[in-house]
Amino acid sequence: MTDFGYTVSKPRRIDIDRNDMTLCDGILSSMPELQTCIGCGTCTAVCTAGNLTDFNFRRVHTLVRRGEYRGAYEAMNKCMLCGKCRLACPRGINTRAVVLLLKERLKGM
Amino acid sequence: MVFYADFCLPFIAGAAVMFAAVVIKYTVWLVQLPAADKRLILKGLPTRRTLDAVVETVRESLLHRRIFRVNPVLGYMHMSLAFGWFLLIVTGWIETMAYVGLHWVPLQGHVFFKYFMPANGIADHKPWFDFVMDLLLLFVLSGVALAWFKRMRSRALGMRRTTRHIIFDRVALTSLWFVFPARLAAESITCALWGGGSFLTAGTGSLLSGVFGRAALEAAYQPVWWFYSCALGVFFAAMPFSRYMHIFTEVPLIFLRAYRVRPESAAKSYDNFEIQACSRCGICIDPCQLQSSLGIDEVQSVYFLRDRRYRMLQHKVADNCLMCGRCEQVCPVGINLNTLRLNARSSSRDRCDESRYAYLSGIDRSSGEGRTGYFAGCMTRLTPRTMESMARIFDAAGEQVWWADREGGVCCGRPLKLSGEVEAARRMVESNSELFRRHGITTLVTSCPICLREFRETYRLDGVEILHHSEYILRLIRAGRLHLRRDAGALYTYHDPCELGRGCGIYDEPRAVIESVGRLVEPAHTRENALCCGSSLANTVIDDPCQLTIARDVARELEATAAGSVVTACPQCKKALSRGTTCQVADLSEIVAASL
Repeated sequence: MTDFGYTVSKPRRIDIDRNDMTLCDGILSSMPELQTCIGCGTCTAVCTAGNLTDFNFRRVHTLVRRGEYRGAYEAMNKCMLCGKCRLACPRGINTRAVVLLLKERLKGM
Repeated sequence: MVFYADFCLPFIAGAAVMFAAVVIKYTVWLVQLPAADKRLILKGLPTRRTLDAVVETVRESLLHRRIFRVNPVLGYMHMSLAFGWFLLIVTGWIETMAYVGLHWVPLQGHVFFKYFMPANGIADHKPWFDFVMDLLLLFVLSGVALAWFKRMRSRALGMRRTTRHIIFDRVALTSLWFVFPARLAAESITCALWGGGSFLTAGTGSLLSGVFGRAALEAAYQPVWWFYSCALGVFFAAMPFSRYMHIFTEVPLIFLRAYRVRPESAAKSYDNFEIQACSRCGICIDPCQLQSSLGIDEVQSVYFLRDRRYRMLQHKVADNCLMCGRCEQVCPVGINLNTLRLNARSSSRDRCDESRYAYLSGIDRSSGEGRTGYFAGCMTRLTPRTMESMARIFDAAGEQVWWADREGGVCCGRPLKLSGEVEAARRMVESNSELFRRHGITTLVTSCPICLREFRETYRLDGVEILHHSEYILRLIRAGRLHLRRDAGALYTYHDPCELGRGCGIYDEPRAVIESVGRLVEPAHTRENALCCGSSLANTVIDDPCQLTIARDVARELEATAAGSVVTACPQCKKALSRGTTCQVADLSEIVAASL
């Protein structure tokens, strides 16, 4: 097959009606500025840890916002808190505080 | 001679509570000190350091020299209360001895001496003591008057804002305010009835008897001594549990510090000495930019220490600090405010299991060969012009460079440490140290002051000289390896990054570099007093608009110098300031590369 340089993602369904959104709601009310995230992925593009591993801040955040918490804590533990994402974020979201908040709320999920 | 009367009871009870509490506290803290600190104390005791500590105790605990530097009137206020009261006690003891000889006299005998030995009851009255004691009482009363005045108009004493006190402090403060006026009243009435006293007590006494008559004074005689005793008793009982614990605690702190005991990134019992030596004078409030630019109260060092002391510290207070060090710079007690804040964060957050950061092992994206290594740091990789300029400078100087992280690398660890994850930060330290060792460099240059401070304070890189690029560039210029065109018409102003200036003590090198390419004009706050850009990694609480507000305030001061461009030496500061001004903001390396 011709290699176009990209792959097709595996089919994956997120049922927001079934997912428990309590944790997500709690995170949002602690950090309302997360609602301004446009999911552009700049945070992930500049990420120091993302450059070295498969850590993807945008992905973790997007999943958490849809009630998919599994693995979020472990993923966030790869972050080195260097703060490049915060400098780059076009919405000026306090991403380092997001990392700390997710780690605090999602431990053991 | 019996030195006892019923009115002494409140004083005796208060003093007993105070001494018991203070002795218990100090004993517990000293016993709990780590063994290494105990060894430091034992080693230091028989050396000159003990003598130095005695001198410093007189200078700071009694004379409050460092507060004089903040404001002379404020200094006088603190000195008159501390030194004045001390002299009153000492002279009082000498007076007692002069009258009763070298006999043991209970504490209340010294304190209420005028009551027990009024002038007409003494065979050879010594008016000299009356005069000196009156003079000292007046000295202390002038301080009390200033303290009252400061409550109403703190600006007159050089303080824009003063501390908001909790109820316990208010009780202690109120009783302290009453102690000396009560003493004046009690001694004056005694002098009016039984003679003695000098210009102050005798004068006030005759005034009082003139106005109220002798009968009224006789009726007030016992109550006024009761009142004086109660004021003292309440103050002493409240002292170990209020901010006035600093009166005693500053003394052991000065000694421990002289023996090189220091707070560390993990909390230890020594921290108690620092925390309880805080007098909550509030001098740290005015320099705090979270206060001056954003109007945020209740997070400044004075409140942080208070909350930590009473075990009611919250994340939002501990984390809401730029750790710029401006408060540490002015603290009259010299408390290590940043370290205490850091180890408060770490005790609430430091968890790091073995598998975490396993991915760091063996990471090496370095390029090039050379004895000189260049570590850009995460932030510099977001300000590529700095890196390009450094590349041009290395080229021009003919330096063979090993690029540690041009294609990505591991963070220095300081951001994690500042957030309290000290154990996690150690993994980055190990990973990077290994990398540096493997490539055998002898000089490590970085253009990020955050990395620089971490390299210097935490890394153990024996045989590697760690330089900030400002130091490195200056060295190249002085060695004649860089030839720069100096444009005398180019006017620059310089913003001191916190981590570089107050953090690493590097002030002169960047200035010398700027002078070699143009002219330098200083902003209003500069060097040790420089402002923080507001984007400090140490603060995880304030949001983007807040950071921008601080950056604008700082930029306004820099613009006021009328310089053509703002120069700084930190990628983080550069990013922050660029947002706050329309003026050109450049890293030091950029203006050097442009003058090659």
